[in-house]
Formats: sequence, C-alpha cells, structure tokens
Amino acid sequence: MFDFALTGLSQVLLPNHFLVLFIGVFMGIVFGALPGLTATMGLALLVPFTFTMSPTAGLIMLAGIYVGAMYGDAIPAILINTPGTPAAIATTFDGFPLAQKGMAQHGLVAAAVASSFGSLVANIVLAAAAPPLAEVSLKFGPPEYFWLGIFGLTIISTLSSGSPIKGFLAGSIGMILSAVGMADLGGDIRLTFGFPELQGGIELIVALIGFFCLPEILSSVIGQRRAAYAEKMTKPSLNVIWQVITALFRRPTLMLRSSIIGTVIGFAPGAGGNIASMVSYNEACRWDKHPEEYGKGTIKGVAASEAANSAMAPGSLIPLLTLGIPGSPPAAVILGALMLHGMRPGAELFTDYADITYSFIMALLVAAFLVTLIGSFGSFFFSRIINIPSRYLAPAIVFMTVLGSYAIRNNMLDVWIMFIFGIIGYVSNKLKFHPAPIVLGLILGPFVEEGLVQSMLAGKAAGSTFIYMVYRPISGVLIFLCIMSLLWPIFAALKAKHKQAGVDNPFSAEEKEGCNGSK
Amino acid sequence: MGQNSETQSAKRLNADLIVGIVSLGLAALVYFSTRELSKLGGVFVDYTLVALTVLALLTTAKGLVKPERIRFFESVVERNNVLVGICILLLYLIFLPLAGFLPASYAFYFCFNLYLADERFTTRNILSSAALTVLVVTAFYFIFHDFLEVPLPEGRWFG
Repeated sequence: MFDFALTGLSQVLLPNHFLVLFIGVFMGIVFGALPGLTATMGLALLVPFTFTMSPTAGLIMLAGIYVGAMYGDAIPAILINTPGTPAAIATTFDGFPLAQKGMAQHGLVAAAVASSFGSLVANIVLAAAAPPLAEVSLKFGPPEYFWLGIFGLTIISTLSSGSPIKGFLAGSIGMILSAVGMADLGGDIRLTFGFPELQGGIELIVALIGFFCLPEILSSVIGQRRAAYAEKMTKPSLNVIWQVITALFRRPTLMLRSSIIGTVIGFAPGAGGNIASMVSYNEACRWDKHPEEYGKGTIKGVAASEAANSAMAPGSLIPLLTLGIPGSPPAAVILGALMLHGMRPGAELFTDYADITYSFIMALLVAAFLVTLIGSFGSFFFSRIINIPSRYLAPAIVFMTVLGSYAIRNNMLDVWIMFIFGIIGYVSNKLKFHPAPIVLGLILGPFVEEGLVQSMLAGKAAGSTFIYMVYRPISGVLIFLCIMSLLWPIFAALKAKHKQAGVDNPFSAEEKEGCNGSK
Repeated sequence: MGQNSETQSAKRLNADLIVGIVSLGLAALVYFSTRELSKLGGVFVDYTLVALTVLALLTTAKGLVKPERIRFFESVVERNNVLVGICILLLYLIFLPLAGFLPASYAFYFCFNLYLADERFTTRNILSSAALTVLVVTAFYFIFHDFLEVPLPEGRWFG
C-alpha cells in the first residue's frame, strides 16, 4: 500500500498533473464560493473536460475540484453570511461575526488551514483503512439514520441556549418545511398549495440564502445605511496567517475531533457535510473551556466547521471506492467519472487500478495543501471584498442571491421562496427568533422521516418497531449521545454553579454563559 | 416621566406572543392541508405537528406570563429605508421574468445604487452609477451565462 501511495504521489507531482490539480482546486474554490453553485454542479460541469485526459489526470482534476469546493463555500459564509454550499452553514456562525470585527482574514485563513487539516486526516484514513470502514458503513440502517437525525436536532439546545423552547419551535417549523413536496415513501404530494414546482421540495441552498443573506442586507445595508458591509474595515497582513496557523495548531484536540467527526459522518452514505459541520461545531462549543466565545466570532468555531466538512469529502469516498456506494452527491458524480474511465468500484480499484486509485487519493491530499496555500494568500484579496462600499457591493450580492436561487432548478419560484424566506428571516431576527434552527430542521427533516418510516416498516415485519429501532449497537451509542446532548446544558449549569461557589468572583460571566454567548 | 416610559413600553412588541400565535396559525394550516395523506406519507408530518403545536402553545403561554418585549424598528427612518428597499427588491423580482436578466438587472443595479448613495441625484453620482451598472451587470452576465453556462432568467418582453 505504501509503495502505491508513493507512486501515486509521484504521479500527482508531475508538472502536467500538478497543473491540472491546481486548475481543479481553483475552479472548485470558484464553484464553492458562488452561492447556488455546488461542488456537485462543478464536478458535473467539468467531468466532460476530463474525457480527453488520461484517467489519472482526469481523476486528479476532479479531486482538486472536490477539495477546492469544500473550502470555497467558506468564503461567502465568512464575508457575507451566505454559505456557498449547505456544508458551510456552521461556518457562518463565527465567520461572519469575525468579518464584522474587521477580522475576515483570520476567518478565511482559519477556514483554509482547518479545511486542509480535515482533508489530510480523512485522506490518511481513506488510504489506510478504507475496506474495514466500508463494512461499518453498511451497518448504518434506517434506525441509525433516524437517531443520527435526532442527534443532529439536539444541536438546537446549543444554538439557542438562550431560549430552548423557541429554538425547538423553530426546528419544528424547519421539519415541517422539509415535508413540502413528494414524500419519498408513500409518494404523497404534501403542502405544495397548488405549485407543481414545489413537488421537488424546498431547495436547501434557497433557504440558506434567504434566511442568512437577505436579512443582513435588509438590516445593515438598507435599514441602518451602513457605509460598508462590515462594521470594521479588514486590514490583511502576513502576520495574521502565521498567528492563525499557530493558534489552531495549539488546539490539536479541536482539529482532530472535528476531522474525525467529518470522516465518520462522511462514510455513512447519505449524511452530508452540512450535518458534519453542525455536529462538529456543537461538539467544539460543548467541550471548550470558553463556550461563550462561540457565535461572537472565534476562529475555533470556523475551524470546527471547516475541518469537519472538508473531512467529510474524502470520508464519503470510502464507501464509494470500496463498495460503489456514493456517500454524498459529489461522490456520485465521481462514481460516474470512474465508470466512464472504465473503472468499477470495489476491490479491483485497490489491486488492478491501484496506481490510478492511489494517484486520486494522493491528489486529494496534495489538493488539501494547495487549499492552504491558495486560501491563505488569497485571503489578502478575498478579505478586501467586504471593504467595498455597500452601495456597490449590496446590489452585486443581491444578484448572487437571485442567480444562486435560480440556478439550482432554473425556476423563478425558487427566487420568490428565497425572497419570502429573506423577509421571514429579517422579521424573525427582529423578534429574537433566530432562523438557524429552522434551517437545521430543514436539513435533518428528510433524514429523520426516512429513518422513521423505513424503521416502522422494517420493525413491523420484525415484530416490534421499538426493539428494531433501539436494540442495535450503533443506535444505542447514538441514543446515548442524544441524551447527553440534551442534558448537557443542565450539566454545564450545575458545573458552573458548583465552580461559582468555590471561586472568589461569583459574578464571572464566563461560566454563566452558554454556547453562542447566550446566557 | 412615567407617562413617557409608558408610551415607550406601549410601542414595544410582545415577541413571544407574536411567535407563538403565528406558529399556531402555521400548525393549523398544516393540519388542515395534510388530513388526506396516506399513513406512510403522513406519519412524520403528524409527529412534527404535535411537537410544533406543543412548543407554540408553550411560547404563547410564555408570551402571556413573562413576555420578551422588543422594539421592531429603531427609528422611523430605519422603517422607511427597509420598506423602500423591500419595494425595490420586489419590483426587480416582478420585472425579472418579464424583461429578462439584463434589462431588469441594469435597472435594478442603477436604482439600488443610487438609493444607497448619500447624495442621490447629483450629475456625478448618476453618471458614475450608470457606468458602474453597465460594467457590473455585463460582467455578471458574461461570467454566469457564457463562462459558467448557468441559465439566467429569460424575459417575455425581450427574450
């Protein structure tokens, strides 16, 4: 295996292959950074260009696009509060506040370094342990997906520890929104109110743009007439790159935990980067000594989200390369590309086509380093974008929101939905009813529903739905995690109370505040 | 003094009550729209609806007992700015499928740019806005339409 890895690395470092990889990473960053254009779209659009290349060069380019897109989505998330793809949703929580404080470059560099680190860890796992992990991924059945979805929902207690009832209420609204369209099981048409275009459901990216981007424009640029998009101007400097890199590598636990979460969620087929980044953000916040810093602009929050969603990409390739099961939509496009080049996923890939397969894996690895390079030095340029006066920038952002919403399905209804969600987001922000849990419900609803309905059907056949859903090893672990996650705010409060009783300063704000700075 | 603070508190909205009542309305709408679903198609909606209703009732109760009061707009100027901004966006979305991407976007960028400027109708401002409009919108058009081959909204009037 080690020999193949070295041969693969030498293939990637050949000048023509390296150039192809560089172009791939750059294109991936562009696709990831434009809201509405996803990694899947980028891969699908550029697959035809790889037909004329050798299989090795073609796959190296696809690896670059995939890794580049997983970082690129962080750029608009940090600068304008709009995730380039749904996987960067948790990046907005701290990235945008950082940009508002004039620290956009810190956020961008943290995202690039964490993305590279996450990708690196997941690639090592992919290269070293793909076959045994693929077997574990097959153990994920409907009950596991149901509990994974429920575990994801418990994050609401972190996102809204100021008012958990309102947080869970918003989550329920998101779950109802996720039911719009045709039911996967049963085929019923639900809540479309006579719009046939809604049968495909509400597009996640449309909801993200609506709930996160438009309210910010309405509130700061239009309402308050702020001259620039950020409260403070960003002044990029070379020092920031070094500061951020050293700050992140002083937190190996955070980086490693986030990367492992991303890899594990990645190899569970179907669970995407959005869930990985949310779970990772939640865990980072939960285990941090200073949870009050999260949500106010800390590079730790950005790193947790980006390390996880970038680790998800190679993670999702584990079941693809070993079993032919794509773990994510981009992985499905890569599956198509593999087959077009005459390669069938499975053991053959690691024996007959080992040279090409390991070149692909090594390309993912080298692309991770390129992301650090392009991301860190590109931050000088990217971070200046928000210094542009808002009268020039805001109309351009509105174009992006409109084009991004339209591009998904070439449908004006999606643009109208984005606009309506934008108004709802603005109003709900004013009412202190934050829309992040609505989006979380929208993301996790389909998981929970599919897991629930399939478990009910299988459980009925097995004799008891309850036993089928609960008495399974992975389900047991996930149920335990759900309970822990729900009870954590109580534990944290008791711990804080206990500490306060023993310290001199009973009014220390640090211990009283929960994640996202909410008391 | 007391009268003044009373007037101020009267202007503040009961956020919990609004959220609770709107959520209950949403729950009612979903309930009456999903009564004819099959068991497989309806089970998730039903469970979620129960959660939504209970949480909406709790929020309404909190709004009655211990409300969180907020001031929706900080000033009349802010309110007017937001309403005009929404109207400009609304007009853009209405004209987009009629006029097509390029004409509607030229008009939108020009108007929005002028609206956000401090000195709106000086000759210099109008000329610079017009030049920038042509530059930015045309660049967007070429990047998305020609380079990335993303379909853009087409108009009924100009195609």
